[in-house]
Amino acid sequence: MLANFQNQFASLTVGGLSLGFIYVLIALGYTMVYGVLRMINFANSEIFMYGTFASIVVIRDVFKFTQQSEPATGFRLIYILLFCLIGSMLMAGILSVFLELVAYRRLRNKGSNKLAPLISAIGMSIVLAEFMRILTDSRYVGSPRVMEKKVLGNFFGAELRLDNVIIVVAGLVLFIGLSQFVDKTRLGKAIRAVSMNEDAAKLMGVNLNFVVSGTFLVGGLMTGAAGFFYILKYENTSFNIGFELGIAAFTAAILGGIGNIKGAFYGGIALGLLETYASFFLGTQWKAVTVFLVLVVVLYFRPNGVFGEAITQTRA
Amino acid sequence: MSESILKLDNVTMQFGGVVALNDVTFEVRKQEILGLIGPNGAGKTTVFNVITGVYQITKGSITFNGKSISGIKRYRITKGGIARTFQNIRLWGDMTALENVITATDTHKKSGLLSGLFGLPVSRKEERRDKVRAQELLDFIGIGEYADRLAKNLPYGVQRRLEIARALGTNPKLLLLDEPAAGFNPAEKVELAKTIRKIRDAGYTVLLIEHDMSLVMGVSDRVVVIDFGQKIADDLPAKVQNDKRVIEAYLGVPDDAS
Amino acid sequence: MFNLRDWGADVWERSSRPIRVLIALGAIAIAASLPLLGGTFLNTPVADYGSVLVFPVAIFVIMALGLNIVIGKSGLLDLGYVAFFAIGAYTMGLLGTKTGLNSWEILPIGIAMAMFAGLILGVPALRLRGDYLAIITLGFGEIVRITALNLNSIGGANGIVGIPTPPTVFGLEYTFDNHRLYFWTFLIIILLTIWMIRRLSVRRAGRAWESIRQDEDAAELMGVPTFRYKIWAFVLGASVGGAAGVLYASKTLFISPDNFTLQVSILILACVVFGGMGNIWGVILGAIILGYLPDRIRFISDARLLVFGAVLVLMMNLRPDGILPRKKREKALPGKNQNE
Ligand SMILES: Nc1ncnc2c1ncn2[C@@H]1O[C@H](COP(=O)(O)OP(=O)(O)O)[C@@H](O)[C@H]1O
Ligand SMILES: [Mg+2]
Repeated sequence: MLANFQNQFASLTVGGLSLGFIYVLIALGYTMVYGVLRMINFANSEIFMYGTFASIVVIRDVFKFTQQSEPATGFRLIYILLFCLIGSMLMAGILSVFLELVAYRRLRNKGSNKLAPLISAIGMSIVLAEFMRILTDSRYVGSPRVMEKKVLGNFFGAELRLDNVIIVVAGLVLFIGLSQFVDKTRLGKAIRAVSMNEDAAKLMGVNLNFVVSGTFLVGGLMTGAAGFFYILKYENTSFNIGFELGIAAFTAAILGGIGNIKGAFYGGIALGLLETYASFFLGTQWKAVTVFLVLVVVLYFRPNGVFGEAITQTRA
Repeated sequence: MSESILKLDNVTMQFGGVVALNDVTFEVRKQEILGLIGPNGAGKTTVFNVITGVYQITKGSITFNGKSISGIKRYRITKGGIARTFQNIRLWGDMTALENVITATDTHKKSGLLSGLFGLPVSRKEERRDKVRAQELLDFIGIGEYADRLAKNLPYGVQRRLEIARALGTNPKLLLLDEPAAGFNPAEKVELAKTIRKIRDAGYTVLLIEHDMSLVMGVSDRVVVIDFGQKIADDLPAKVQNDKRVIEAYLGVPDDAS
Repeated sequence: MFNLRDWGADVWERSSRPIRVLIALGAIAIAASLPLLGGTFLNTPVADYGSVLVFPVAIFVIMALGLNIVIGKSGLLDLGYVAFFAIGAYTMGLLGTKTGLNSWEILPIGIAMAMFAGLILGVPALRLRGDYLAIITLGFGEIVRITALNLNSIGGANGIVGIPTPPTVFGLEYTFDNHRLYFWTFLIIILLTIWMIRRLSVRRAGRAWESIRQDEDAAELMGVPTFRYKIWAFVLGASVGGAAGVLYASKTLFISPDNFTLQVSILILACVVFGGMGNIWGVILGAIILGYLPDRIRFISDARLLVFGAVLVLMMNLRPDGILPRKKREKALPGKNQNE
């Protein structure tokens, strides 16, 4: 088995990296909201799931792909991929903003007890997932193939498959874009200010509701992108994928230190790789358990993650 | 001179880059009222937080009755005889005043969950005893008539005094009061000064943070002054009032705006 | 405004001891006669009324009471409560089919196993706060289910079949369709649970939980051993969940990992939230309504979870204290309010 692992190591690594980037993008959704509101947005996993469906809708209904269609190539392919990506991102971004308005805003402005937003979030997550379950009749929904998954070449014995390469490159671009956004734009700076000190930010004239909506929008956009990459890689989805991916991405966010954008990056990559290697040895049925164990171990021994702020320290 | 009950030796408390306490040393003596003053943000509340175990100090040592209390669990420090109030009131709002105090008296109960569940005599006896004790404490502080009111519905001044009664409920040797007169009018302040003396006369030792100079100077046996996390004076009230560094520290800070 | 919760508490507090006994007996009698109302408009289209009363209604009530200790009393959001239910059920299933032990003998073992699991989970998880606790417990619930699914030695995906019914007591036979007898048995467990919670609520443990729920830091600083009492809440909640699991397995006689999904945890959470976190009567009412209605109304039964999710969102936003909120009232003190 070990020899086998050495043979496959490079290929597993490439697969793990592309999975890792999917986690990075979803983790950004969790981490940005956490940074601003100090709250886990439970329903982010469902935002992701809706992103995967948005991709399929674009592929099937806008570009009229069917299971028999020829995969696209060349510029047409690039055009289609971009269109799907933007479709997923918009769907998820808008849903995310809507979610905040419906499920959290009232509670936040009322300053209710701490359990209330959490329970509201869980409820919202159930509503979204169940709505999709009823819509899809509990079935898996496959995506027609939009491109041929060509092997572009070999790299230290790893097959560089086109979809994996696209995900890694596009994921990297999105991540850098987000970092720039947070560093350079006015909204980004306001988001950072609120993350560091809400009261001070408010005193400086930051409109909190606007910043919160902006955060949910940006987090949703990233999560939606992950939805598209997921479809590109696995070519099917269902109403209940949000749960598993959501927990994994949340674990990634914790691993890197929640509330910390760079942390989401390292945590996502690390978890994607770890999960892929572990599945090789243990079998995929224990994948979720592996992820949970990582979560428990990190929360127990390094609750701050690798870079993040303390979550157990409190002020009295 | 009476012996010391609490000693801070070269205590330093850092938060990341912020040095909230810098090499602070002082002691509290048995049965005295020690005033702890300093401008806003000087580190007074932080002193309380390190004593009660909310924060682990970066350097130095804290001893209570000769034993080190660094690293001990917070509830054990309280059980060991140190109780505090909070600058920003932190009562349990959905409990009655009496329940707030009884919960504090639970600190020293022998009976736990199981003896309560099965209604063992020890549990029943302690419940009855501490209910009486809690009412006595409310009366002692002068808010006995509010016993059955929910804490969150109490008038502000009563809430501040309930904080003191609750702290006394843990049966402390040392009582830490964090700005107990904040928001009080002059008459209430006079009343509070009396209460604090009464507490000391009942055998407790008091460490008092307070902004109102006339209150602190009037009631304290000694006063410690800190500024920017450093101790700048430690003396009798009359001497402290004329200390140059203290006057400098307070210069431009109008006395008692809050 | 008229408040049923406060009115009931008032009547109770003003009554003398014999009257209280009478009220309690009356309430128990009404509860015990519920299964006799079969064949009326209460019948559900999905299943026989008698059986609906046992499962989901009675089982939901037991679990909601148990979860209420954790969420309602202590303010700890446990999303993996189904794990304790599963552990109780699997203890019953395995011991019932593989040893000669009967349901009554297995009940304490199942409870002990669930409590042990509560301890194992609680010690690491309860060091964390709020959100993190929710995620960790959610993970725990899934780990238990996935483990059951993948371990063929305990039935794997097929689960366990042929679990024995409880043995006859006093000549009463627990046949598969003797729903009344099951209901009365479960009612006894419900009464015991209520007794336990009420007993603890007015004593030290109840105050400790209440203080933790309202302000954990202040509680710790006022000498409450918060960690210990959180563990107790968890373990007691687990014990009730474990008992529900044993009873459930010896009623359905067949269990599989599918019975123990995250959704069960959510359903029970919805019962607690809907009824009123922290108030026993509210929680019971919530569990009865949310256990019964989806079976009574076809439309809801297909979209059961959707409705429950919506209930969570709506309740939190519009009536966070539930339909029967916890006590908010204080005794009126004539003539003592002047100096405010
Ligand atoms: N948990 C903390 N993290 C960072 N800085 C803190 C913390 N607690 C207190 N400080 C800082 O320590 C300094 C002293 O605060 P404090 O003790 O509350 O002052 P005061 O004398 O007004 O009670 C302040 O600059 C405050 O910002
Ligand atoms: Mg202060």
